Amino acid sequence: MGAQNQTPTKPVIEANNLGIRFRRGNSGFRTFKDLFGSKERRTMAGEFWALRNVSFTVHPGEAIGVVGRNGQGKSTLLRLVAGVLLPDEGSVDVNVGVAPLIELTGGFVRDLTVRENIWLAASLLGLRKSEIAERFDEIVSFAELGDFLSTPYKHLSSGMQVRLAFSVMSRLDEPVLLVDEVLAVGDKAFRQKCYARIDQMLASGKTLFFVSHNESDLRRFCTRGLYLRGGKLVLDDTIDAVLKQYNADQGK
Amino acid sequence: MGYFRALWILTQRDLRVRYSTSKLGYLWSVLEPLAMSAIYWFVFTQVFERTVGETPYIVFLLTALLPWMWFNGAISDASRAFWKESRLVRSIRLPRTVWVNQLVLAKGIEFLLALPVLALFAILGGAQLHIGVVLFPLAIVLQAVCMVGVGLIVAPLVVFYRDLERATKLVLRFLFFATPVIYGTSDLPHGLELWSAINPLAGAISLYRASFFPAQLDWAVVGISSASAAVMLLLGLYVFRRSERALLKAV
Repeated sequence: MGAQNQTPTKPVIEANNLGIRFRRGNSGFRTFKDLFGSKERRTMAGEFWALRNVSFTVHPGEAIGVVGRNGQGKSTLLRLVAGVLLPDEGSVDVNVGVAPLIELTGGFVRDLTVRENIWLAASLLGLRKSEIAERFDEIVSFAELGDFLSTPYKHLSSGMQVRLAFSVMSRLDEPVLLVDEVLAVGDKAFRQKCYARIDQMLASGKTLFFVSHNESDLRRFCTRGLYLRGGKLVLDDTIDAVLKQYNADQGK
Repeated sequence: MGYFRALWILTQRDLRVRYSTSKLGYLWSVLEPLAMSAIYWFVFTQVFERTVGETPYIVFLLTALLPWMWFNGAISDASRAFWKESRLVRSIRLPRTVWVNQLVLAKGIEFLLALPVLALFAILGGAQLHIGVVLFPLAIVLQAVCMVGVGLIVAPLVVFYRDLERATKLVLRFLFFATPVIYGTSDLPHGLELWSAINPLAGAISLYRASFFPAQLDWAVVGISSASAAVMLLLGLYVFRRSERALLKAV
């Protein structure tokens, strides 16, 4: 992980004919043969392609919004880029480290204190001890949890948990930010802080990959849009053009 | 992130959770094998006339029960690993085999921490420390290799077949008696010793016991067990690699 030395023109993300399929229905029932025979190309009964033939290239500093209705593969695409899913077809090459703001609170442990959780989550996300020590106060003050450092994480309200998680994630150095709908949570004041933080990170030259249903958020942060429909990438254009097409499709 | 860094962070996390959530903390890793040893000691020396094993029997028991607890604990946890960690697996990219190896390591550290109990009973029971104690690290390696292999098979398959979680429990219970814990390999009916060595724990326990009971060291058993452990590791890596893709979708 971590940024490698590279020229600014080298793409940070390259998706090539990316495809992934899932099973419909009872995922618990499989034969050993289909578990181990996943190399086959043909689609088996009860399977569908959540994404197929998706190709795009992302250059450093781009802010990309992924647009589409529910269940059209947006989050799946994000998780493929994050490397927490593996494609069945094609490839996605991510040439730098990514900060996955996907399931924000995923790395936190209920029984540990806020302090222990900050150390744990930050180190799982690749920060070194000295880096965490340096940023610790910043993380705590951004999350506004200074009085709760010794409180077990499970005693925080869900809003506080998300605040803490965002606060840790947004202090990572990774050049690519993957954001999945997380801004929909938290109160208004905190949301404003998050927005300001993302603006700041974009200004510092980070690349943003953003999934949202909120048009004003998309317009605010993104310059380019990817429109997914039925697992296909139907439009890769400016965010305005993509939203226009999306809204036109919705109007039908 | 480096593999060993991730492994160490998660191991520390598990140990911290374990010791910060219970008042007795460390005592539990000692109490459990002690209680079991006390029960077997009572049944096999006070109720029945003991014909198997060696004296002091409590030391004989502990040299195998502590490793058994390590095995049992890590494999039971492995059968739940991907359910328990699903949110992390879904959101942060870490080397996937870490989820198994971390359990083997965390339980392994608890095993090492419980060893003073063995030393204490060896002193109280007057067991003679033997030169075979140098084989102790070899036993740990042999057991760890076998556990990683078994864990890599069990952990992903349980995600696809929920029933395997209960099946694993049953197999572990069976395995407890199929492993030379309350008896020694040499107590088995003639012809069965070498067959029992296919279970890598038989070889590991033979090596562990060499510390106090030189007669328990059987190189034929150790050899077969080592080969079998290596096969399990390779099989585990194969199963894990092949099921990884489907595993990530199902978690």
